[in-house]
Amino acid sequence: MRKTIEIVAIAIIAAILAFALPRLGVSPYLRTLVYYSAFYLALGQAWNLMSGLTGYVSFAHGALAGIGAYAAVMALNADWSVAESLVLAAAVTMLISLLIGVTSLRLRGVSFTFATLFFQQLALLVLRKLPASGGPGGLALEEIFPVWLPHALMLALAAAATILMLLVRGSRLGIRLLAIKGDEDAAVAVGIAATRLKLGVFCASAAIAALAGAVHGLFAASLYPDVVFSIDFSLVALAVPMIGGVATAFGPVIGAVFYVGLGELLQIYAPSLHLTVIGLLLVCIVLFLPAGLAPGLAAILPRPAAGRLKPVREG
Amino acid sequence: MTAILEVDGLEKRFGGVHALRGASLSIAAGEIVGLFGPNGAGKTTLFNLIAGTFPPDRGNIRLRGESVTRLPAWRRARKGIGRTFQITRPFRDLTTLENVLATVPRTGATKPADAAASRALLRQVGLDSRAGDLAGTLTLGMLKRLEVARALALQPYLLLIDEPLAGLSGRESADLLAFIATLRSETAVIMVEHNVRQSLPICDRAIVLDAGTVIAEGTPQDIRTNPAVIRAYLGTDAC
Repeated sequence: MRKTIEIVAIAIIAAILAFALPRLGVSPYLRTLVYYSAFYLALGQAWNLMSGLTGYVSFAHGALAGIGAYAAVMALNADWSVAESLVLAAAVTMLISLLIGVTSLRLRGVSFTFATLFFQQLALLVLRKLPASGGPGGLALEEIFPVWLPHALMLALAAAATILMLLVRGSRLGIRLLAIKGDEDAAVAVGIAATRLKLGVFCASAAIAALAGAVHGLFAASLYPDVVFSIDFSLVALAVPMIGGVATAFGPVIGAVFYVGLGELLQIYAPSLHLTVIGLLLVCIVLFLPAGLAPGLAAILPRPAAGRLKPVREG
Repeated sequence: MTAILEVDGLEKRFGGVHALRGASLSIAAGEIVGLFGPNGAGKTTLFNLIAGTFPPDRGNIRLRGESVTRLPAWRRARKGIGRTFQITRPFRDLTTLENVLATVPRTGATKPADAAASRALLRQVGLDSRAGDLAGTLTLGMLKRLEVARALALQPYLLLIDEPLAGLSGRESADLLAFIATLRSETAVIMVEHNVRQSLPICDRAIVLDAGTVIAEGTPQDIRTNPAVIRAYLGTDAC
């Protein structure tokens, strides 16, 4: 029952943010901040689903989003519909993630992380050289879409990704993924097909990242490989759950809003210190709040609200 | 009696160390078998080969007549081989109940594997009052019982219990052995244990390994008086 209420609440909030904000006269600037919060939330939940639950830290999610963005823009330029382009972006990226996963998910710990980092750089090199993707000069969307479309799609995606995380975290699947994170050998000994499960969740996670990238392609309208495939988006995907709370459904919501809000304040008041402060913040969170801000907030909030920030547990 | 497990000529080398040299054994349904031997005899290697942690260099392992020699560990678990670990390996950040819920029951398992069944297993091992607590907060004795509950959730044909008494007090050891003795009706058990005196009485049969080879096999009484066993444990002067 509680889960149903939470799912309905997420859907209502996303719908309000998507359709009511423009009618309420909220400035385009604030709506853009909402958009970026949703973009980073979708990316963060994609990372959270894979790395948060299994403990396999990925630096490839920025590149997976980038591939989604390129696939969608190329499909749109070839006169595919928006829906078809999004499906293609997700399918292509899932296929690529399957290749990455098959070759790298037998590795453990830092070895897997380095394999994903290698993929991130490889994707950048390939996209720079590929004539069909515009090379280093980038790729422009030939048809410009009204701004409400990527806004609404990104909010819907962020909401869907959060609901998916909520459902998975509270399910037997979520428990088994966390078991892999806890002790993979012990997980295998109780019948968990760890490699297959990791591969499946990595592909699902890649599809979410790809859709986030594809929708962002509609929003940005121009894609440059050095921007799309910079390590920044992979760091955002990792930072958002780490700030809010890894392996929780609602932690990344706090993480995304906090990241965008703080980033914006720093851009205004201390632009030269922007990345330094974000970096220091991450170090402090890892050292002093390893479970992220969500459990900390849960400790000071009244019980009903606090329950929504804690990891979902049966028992 | 029907053989649940047949191990035939298992060999395993780790570099220059010949850990197992053609070990063979057979376990029947409902049997509790003690696997004994001095340090370095190959007991844990044999456990790991049966559970599928790594493959043997030579030899065969059959579960209920079907070869599982080349199957990965998770497939063997789903065929019905459960295990515990010498040093407990709980999922520390999951609750006690979630630890049991994580188990994937063997293919063709007849009992349900829902939260109610998992709670019943926790009750069976005396941990039902700690169902909602993180496994990382349990004592060593509780963790040993949790590992048994987690393995029983597989509804296994064969349960491998590795050094269940290590680190436990006398009372905890007696309670755990009494519990293991009740498992005959559910599964066959192979138990590796250093405390031969305490664990032998609950065994139907004992197998003794030395230097990677089975040197003796028989009833607890046979084993106590077997000269090869006495020699392996106490040296050649003892005979």
